[in-house]
Amino acid sequence: MKRALSLLAVLMLALALTACGGKKDENKAGAADGIKIGSLGPLTGQYAADGNDMKNGVLAAIEVMGPEMGKLGPVTIQSEDDACDPRQAVAAANKLINEKVTAVIGAYCSSATIPASEPLMAAKIFMITPASTTEKVTERGMPYMYRTCGRDDDQSKAAVKFMTDQLKAKTLYIVDDKTTYSQGLADNVEKLGAGANLKVLGHEHVNQGDKDYSAVLTKVKAANPDVFYVSLQNSASAAPMLIQIARMGIKAKLLAQDAVYHPQLIALAKQAAEGVYLTFGYTDKTTPAYQKFLAAYKKYGEPGAYSAYSFDSTVAYLKAVKAAGSTDPDKVRAEMAKLDFDGASKHIKYKENGDSGSNYVIQVVKDGKFTNYWNPETGELFK
Amino acid sequence: MAGGLRPQKARTPVEFFLQQLVNGVTLGGVYALVALGYTMVYGIIQLINFAHGEIYASGGYMGVILISWLFAHGFPPMVCLGAALILAMGYCALLAMALEKVAYKPLRQSSRLSVLLSALGMSIFLQNGLMLTQGVYDRAYPTEMVQGGFHVHGVIVSYMQCIIVGLTVLLLVLLNLLVYRTRIGKAMRATAQDKTMSALVGINSSRIISVTFAIGAGLAAAAGIMVGLYYGSVRYDMGFVPGIKAFSAAVLGGIGNITGAMLGGLLIGVIEVFAAGYISSEYKDVFAFIILIAVLYFMPTGIMGENVDDTRI
Repeated sequence: MKRALSLLAVLMLALALTACGGKKDENKAGAADGIKIGSLGPLTGQYAADGNDMKNGVLAAIEVMGPEMGKLGPVTIQSEDDACDPRQAVAAANKLINEKVTAVIGAYCSSATIPASEPLMAAKIFMITPASTTEKVTERGMPYMYRTCGRDDDQSKAAVKFMTDQLKAKTLYIVDDKTTYSQGLADNVEKLGAGANLKVLGHEHVNQGDKDYSAVLTKVKAANPDVFYVSLQNSASAAPMLIQIARMGIKAKLLAQDAVYHPQLIALAKQAAEGVYLTFGYTDKTTPAYQKFLAAYKKYGEPGAYSAYSFDSTVAYLKAVKAAGSTDPDKVRAEMAKLDFDGASKHIKYKENGDSGSNYVIQVVKDGKFTNYWNPETGELFK
Repeated sequence: MAGGLRPQKARTPVEFFLQQLVNGVTLGGVYALVALGYTMVYGIIQLINFAHGEIYASGGYMGVILISWLFAHGFPPMVCLGAALILAMGYCALLAMALEKVAYKPLRQSSRLSVLLSALGMSIFLQNGLMLTQGVYDRAYPTEMVQGGFHVHGVIVSYMQCIIVGLTVLLLVLLNLLVYRTRIGKAMRATAQDKTMSALVGINSSRIISVTFAIGAGLAAAAGIMVGLYYGSVRYDMGFVPGIKAFSAAVLGGIGNITGAMLGGLLIGVIEVFAAGYISSEYKDVFAFIILIAVLYFMPTGIMGENVDDTRI
């Protein structure tokens, strides 16, 4: 009796927190027939927010495209968690192969996408990443590997061009958090910066998921660079850094990259996020395609950084399947090459290597919103 | 545009050192608060309570829920902070007592390995419980509540840092008074020394164990709230890394020793920050653990640890 009472007490305490919010996650394993799309991304761990955004993008796309698939349908999703961990990503990819999915939308971290792609390619399963920007992803001669977002070599070019041409910076300090993506991008910026007469005062590495950056920021403050380039794996790591930058009174211009683009960044860092520049793919939010996406996505909340890319990746695959009239990998691949449509994020037209081109622009956080700021193509400010 | 690129006065090495010291002491204070929970529980039942990091995370969450609500309803910042601290500390104390009753007490006569596994299980249970109920997204603290700071000779000290250090010192003093100046503290020390003997002289050891869990959890909850306010957000898995660091701090100071845990926490915080400041932030954890290993090599019982005879262990 006493035991039962104390058990009850624990349950009640645990439930006390339940009352204050949170939502359930529905994962339905679909029927055997039709088209089964795998969604791969970090659903737990520190990048869980981004992984869930991607999964929601796939769900929204299935909702929009599902009814159009006719006899090929129904379209179902099999969602797997890779926790951004290379080993778990391979295990999840193998599970998706067993579940007989014909395409995988994912993953988020380049360091998970690359190892997961190997078993998928061997099984002739499409992998379309909406978020992994590391160049290497599409440079391994894999016929079923596609990428809907941009590439880091282009992203670093845009970043350096902005620093030299628009900010007229002479000195630069770089921090990354040592992931395939964040360090790759930071190294690119360092290399390009050195070629463009940007003096790199320091390049520090912090640990993934760190919250205390005071030591490294004290160094940055002492170095007093014109621009501080922040290359972190996601918005939840960047928010505490921005708060601490503001607290330390670092006057350098801040430039971040696509992974920290997320409504969460502003929600968490608030005032400290104001004036932060970041490189992100250009999306015209007034197009009918974007509005259609937004309407379908609404029930999942505000779109994250890769929600629209994830949506487009799924739509692209389903369009190709529809045109091919089957999920046969080679037929679908032929149709993927012919795709040419206005997606929610950008115009989708895949190249031979699976890339879809980059269109990085500089955005700035202004009045609590991400706003287009500068176009590296034209070297002009957005109106 | 050009205004932002105005050159600043470069810093002197002394200012750099002092600034890093301020950063390190802030971080160390938080580790010390969490480390106390490990060390007190170990002192009394020789259990490494792996779920302690999750208690700290629960405190952080309870804090964000309470502070956001109070702050949104227009209460002054210090009232929000004070009320949230007391309520969250109380909540975590109850949570830890319930945890002890359900997961550890039934195993009191079992092997130590069973209790340890039970602790690991509770850690996973609590962390996933937080994830399922609070979601996977980071929750924002109203950081605008405590803003600003002051300069002393080029060293920036934020008000939040003052609050963290001040509150840590206050809690440590209160804890010392409790342990060394009250009857219950005496009973705790007696139980830690010899459970059977203290029971023979009429001390209710079950109650004392419960109280020890509650105190440790209260301190962890306070640390969780301050960390949330300092870094601006909490996440369901926030307890893991600080848990490991605080555990190391407790071992460094001499597990089972309260003063040792405070010292260990402070040391780990300062070492981490200096390693990051002078060597590389990439290897800051490595240095913290190198120091830990070095201390344990030369002083196997930790800095303040006493030699205990084998019968207790």
